[in-house]
Amino acid sequence: MNEQLRAISGLDRVIHEPGRLVIMALLAGVKECDFLYLLHETEMSNGNLSSHLARLEGAGYVQIEKTYRGKVPLTLLRLTRAGRAAFEDYRKALKAAF
Amino acid sequence: MDRPKRYENIDGTGEMAMGVMMLSFALVGYLSSVLPEGALWRRNGWATFEFIPVVFIPIWAFQHWGVKAIKKRFTWPRTGYVAYRCSGRSWWTWAVAIAVLGAGIACLATFARRFHALGLERAVSMAILLAAYAFFVFRWSREHAWKWAVLVFMALGLLAIGLVVPGGAVESFPPVALFLGLVWLGSGVATLYSYIRHTQPPLPEAG
Repeated sequence: MNEQLRAISGLDRVIHEPGRLVIMALLAGVKECDFLYLLHETEMSNGNLSSHLARLEGAGYVQIEKTYRGKVPLTLLRLTRAGRAAFEDYRKALKAAF
Repeated sequence: MDRPKRYENIDGTGEMAMGVMMLSFALVGYLSSVLPEGALWRRNGWATFEFIPVVFIPIWAFQHWGVKAIKKRFTWPRTGYVAYRCSGRSWWTWAVAIAVLGAGIACLATFARRFHALGLERAVSMAILLAAYAFFVFRWSREHAWKWAVLVFMALGLLAIGLVVPGGAVESFPPVALFLGLVWLGSGVATLYSYIRHTQPPLPEAG
């Protein structure tokens, strides 16, 4: 297997799914954001976004913090250090492949 | 991917901040023309730094209270809250960019005075101010096509000021800053209005 094919087969499958890739790309550009921002930007349904976030949280890539702004529930999301590193590796691998 | 960065101006607050800054500069120009010759303000002309609080206090106040109030009242409940990362690199980039721009303008003014090329000085300074808005629209607010019409209006306004107001770039700066400040501010308010019209707060968060 040559280098390019190895780079493709070695892509992180948690990040590679299009929905999660969009989420990771958005979170990589910010310090933190709330659930509503991701909902607005990704145009996913609540359930779909929640399940992708749960998968990313399970992989240790995203930190989810449930809090309140006044009396309104607020879900804050940010990439973990491992998530940021994984996304950077994913970008490098994709660049190497194409 | 610069989409999160463009989100910062989704409500027009970036343009409003620029408008406030230009209006502050117009105030500086106005104060310079009405205060007596011997006043501390005018002792060193434009080289003095006394005008800095007049420019920076309104900008700081707008950023601290105005932008926060708009974001809290309209943006965050409608399309979400975002906090941006502050890296050392971007701080340095901005500092270098501002220093280079300031040095460029100072060199241009010196060159123009020395060679009495006031027409050139005025034309170049207006072109720079126009290019700033064009860059802003191209980089941060491309989805609003009407802003290119604002750019044309801005160019025509600057041309009119250039033809009507006598003197060099320094003499024409107060009306130019007033005009540009109002246009930037108007553009920001129109963006906010458009944003409010096209977005609705969703039902309570289900995340």
